[in-house]
Amino acid sequence: MSLSYDAIVIGAGHNGLVTSAYLARAGLSVLVVEQGDRVGGGATTEELFPGFKFDTGAHRSAQLHPAISRDLGLGAHGLELVRSDPGVFVPFPDGRHLLLGESASASADSIRAFSAADADRWAEFNGFTEMVAGFLSTVFTVEPPEIPDPSRSDMFALGRLGLGLRKLGRREMEEVVRVLPMSCLELLDEWFESEPLRGVLAGVAVQGGAHGPMATGTALNLFRRAAESGSGNPVALIRPRGGVGRLSEALASAARGAGAEIRLESRVKHVLLKAGRAAGVALEDGTEISARTVASGAGPGVTLLGLSDPAALDPEIVRALEAIRYRGATAKVHLALGELPRFEGPQDAGRHLGGAISISPNLQYVERASDAAKFGQVSEKPYLEAVIPSVVEPDLAPAGKHGMSVLVQYAPYHLRDRTWDDAASDALANTVIETLGRYAPNLPGSVEARQVLTPAGMERKWGLQEGSVFQGEMTLDQFFFARPVAGWARYRTPIEGLYLCGTGTHPGGGVTGNSGYLAAHRILLDAKGRR
Amino acid sequence: MGREAAYDAIVIGGGHNGLTTAAYLARAGRNVLVLERRHLVGGSTVTEEIFPGFKFSVLSYVVSLLRPEIIRELELPRHGLEILPLESTFTPLPNGDQLTRWADHDQTRREICRHSPLDADAYDRFGQLMYRMALAVKPILSMVPPDPTSLSRKDLRGLLSLGKHFRDLGEADFFMLYKLMTMSSADFLDEWFETDPLKATMSASGIIGTFLGPRSPGTAYVQLHHYMGEIDGAFRAWGFARGGTGAVADSIASAARELGVTIRTETAVEQVIVRGGRAVGVALEGGEEVRAPTVVSGLDPRRTFLHLVDEGDLPPDFVQSIRRYRSVGSSGKVNLALGELPNFTSLPGDGDHLRGAISISPSQDYLERAYDDAKYGEFSRHPYMDVIIPSLIDPGMAPPGKHVMSCFVQYAPYKLNGGWNDEKREAFGDAVIDTLSEYAPNLKSAIIHRQVLTPQDMEDEFGLTGGNIFHGELSLQQLFFLRPAPRWADYRTPIRGFYLCGSGAHPGGGICGGPGRLAALEILKGGAR
Repeated sequence: MSLSYDAIVIGAGHNGLVTSAYLARAGLSVLVVEQGDRVGGGATTEELFPGFKFDTGAHRSAQLHPAISRDLGLGAHGLELVRSDPGVFVPFPDGRHLLLGESASASADSIRAFSAADADRWAEFNGFTEMVAGFLSTVFTVEPPEIPDPSRSDMFALGRLGLGLRKLGRREMEEVVRVLPMSCLELLDEWFESEPLRGVLAGVAVQGGAHGPMATGTALNLFRRAAESGSGNPVALIRPRGGVGRLSEALASAARGAGAEIRLESRVKHVLLKAGRAAGVALEDGTEISARTVASGAGPGVTLLGLSDPAALDPEIVRALEAIRYRGATAKVHLALGELPRFEGPQDAGRHLGGAISISPNLQYVERASDAAKFGQVSEKPYLEAVIPSVVEPDLAPAGKHGMSVLVQYAPYHLRDRTWDDAASDALANTVIETLGRYAPNLPGSVEARQVLTPAGMERKWGLQEGSVFQGEMTLDQFFFARPVAGWARYRTPIEGLYLCGTGTHPGGGVTGNSGYLAAHRILLDAKGRR
Repeated sequence: MGREAAYDAIVIGGGHNGLTTAAYLARAGRNVLVLERRHLVGGSTVTEEIFPGFKFSVLSYVVSLLRPEIIRELELPRHGLEILPLESTFTPLPNGDQLTRWADHDQTRREICRHSPLDADAYDRFGQLMYRMALAVKPILSMVPPDPTSLSRKDLRGLLSLGKHFRDLGEADFFMLYKLMTMSSADFLDEWFETDPLKATMSASGIIGTFLGPRSPGTAYVQLHHYMGEIDGAFRAWGFARGGTGAVADSIASAARELGVTIRTETAVEQVIVRGGRAVGVALEGGEEVRAPTVVSGLDPRRTFLHLVDEGDLPPDFVQSIRRYRSVGSSGKVNLALGELPNFTSLPGDGDHLRGAISISPSQDYLERAYDDAKYGEFSRHPYMDVIIPSLIDPGMAPPGKHVMSCFVQYAPYKLNGGWNDEKREAFGDAVIDTLSEYAPNLKSAIIHRQVLTPQDMEDEFGLTGGNIFHGELSLQQLFFLRPAPRWADYRTPIRGFYLCGSGAHPGGGICGGPGRLAALEILKGGAR
């Protein structure tokens, strides 16, 4: 039996699904092969305990690029993005709290309890992040040029970016260039003095990485998040109604609607080569499927050093691929709660629990949490971001009960002197519950069930190398034309016909679909060139 | 009091950059006055006999970055400059072992091989790479940064030539340079080496003068900055000026004087006099005014623009930029007068290992822990140190049989919890001595005198804002066309006739002279852009 498609997409993560939907829409016959029993990869919703549904990977999505939603008709396929307000609740050890949300003035009122100066600057800061985010949004939706020797069309793209910068105005242009390489600390020193505000923004800036907010380059992540919110607000919380998995299901439905096939529980063993170019995939069960184009949503290392034969590659490329830094340091803890946590302070009938809950009382707290990761240890006082989607959508948990998804940092993939065994996972969950209990004393007693996903677990479950949720650190040296490696930032790989379309490629980041979108465009452009 | 300009140009601050600017201006026929607040020239580049018979290079202590064109053009050797090589780096380890990179290539190779044969191979290739990278950066260090936000012909020409420079590097080297600009020195070295003390000692040059740990991105660039000295052939690597670093400043001052420059010490400038948006002279402390159509500041940007001139004479955007310009110190200096040489457990007795740098950097974790203390407002309990014993290289630095020892120490945060005071200074000095004594147990009893300088002292006594040794951090957002502020990286300032020539201008810190020379060349081109 011989199966044949125009294109095979490895992995039904959200980026792989975006790529497959666009390819199918363009008339290609497309097969998506997914190792798991559901679509979505790290953008998924699972019923971990009877009646309790959790976003086990990402627990927020981006405000998708309007073109993607429109082209794929995601609304018709069941996607509804909900912006939480408040976006984030930050309890402070002395019982005070901070609530930041969609309204700059309401946020400023909350900030005023800590600093009048900061409250007065909040709206201006939002304007500033919106301005930088606006520029980044352009960067995030163009293919990186070939630097340092750009082609004519690259010059055009570069010129467009330059023009985009110029349009901002000269002072603004200087500001964008100046702030992008900063540390989060340096950025916040220029704006704010109040600890919980600096803390919560520092938390946003370090999510998914191994660095602390005092490390150079972390401001970029804050601006990235501002860009992903679609409104320039770095503390927005956007979720698909029904869970992040609904977004993946909508994408899968759109892809199927355009003619793509999705094959679950099919693990790719390796990419087939013919005369040095990609010719299809071989599955673990022995099936071989041929295709002229193979797009991999897996990370660059997994794809090119794992699923293909490194011997087929130039040693310099292998060296560059091996040098990509992943260093996952993020874990997830999922808690089934018998009742809502009761935080001291807010008298708003639980409204404050509708957004994210950030355990980040100050910037130093987040930095101290990161210190542990440098030495291969788990933070004793971790930075946490929790969400309880059942507050707004009660049917995500049994009546009266709630599911809490907690992002935990830092839990480094590479532990020193131990491995991520059950004892390590248990200890992590205990630390998380204890930490939350300091702010919401009823929480530890209300935990009915818990599940831990360590960086090692994410690697096993979703193939995320070293548990890196971004398939490679989002640092300046692995950004734009240097993502995943310099010289190969345009979704092509050294193996002709094999493309990358996952978050390990430009622009990477959260659940945006941008990598999948740009990869599909590259594949279609190349196909047009061939004809 | 004469109102007419007696000088063509006044240079504020007789640091090595100010002196360089003065010398170049005089060389072009200008009548130049240098005003120095202290009793001697040199700024941070000084040798002082703090204790009778013992000469300390009080702050900066090694030379490698000094631009060879300055040495040549100002004929500094004729004015007494003599650089003695400091060729080895000795890293004692807590386990009693050590790692030394010697002057002799084969000996270094054997030594690294003892720790890791793989690293011995990588070491040569790494050296070649850094040499190439330093060559790639070199032209950038000697150019006036073009402003990418400007559409002027001059800036566009500069940008084009920069673009061509990068294209000519070729893809591989360009990407490598990009990595060096953006990565941490620890990560960069991890791609090459496995021996922890080797990586730690090499990455230490990436943290010098920064408030970053070796694992923070941005430190690889600072490491490269320190490699620059190795390519020019003036001296092979790091060197020590005979007579201490003050001899560098003295030689430039001597050249300047010969060219006709007047140098007034113990003359502090109170304010730059600005009339109608242009600098017309300076007012000295005590009331005297000196007029000149060109005024140049060798002080750091914050001191220059926030203290020497009236804020009202500067555009608000510019003032904001300077206010945000980061200049936070992280290093201290401990100078010791010794009755005998330190005796290191891991390599006992006198020997060549004492004639180079002695680096207290046993592991990357050690450096990170030193940084962690400082992040939270304490000095490092076990600091990183770069130590030299100048009297072994230049016996004139100490009385016969006795020695001076210079310890550059990190981290000592400027913003210490509770602030710096005499007690904290001594506690910091004790931490330094205790740490060194772990490796050289006789040190404590050998000390005759000690001088401890905290970042606060550097600010108070040497005028370095925040105690930052580079006149402001060498972070990406404060380099090249952003140093010290966007639009004003060409040594000019918003006040006509007023220029900046210190390390707070491109290409930055170290005993380099680059800012001083480039500033002079820009001044000679004329005021308007």
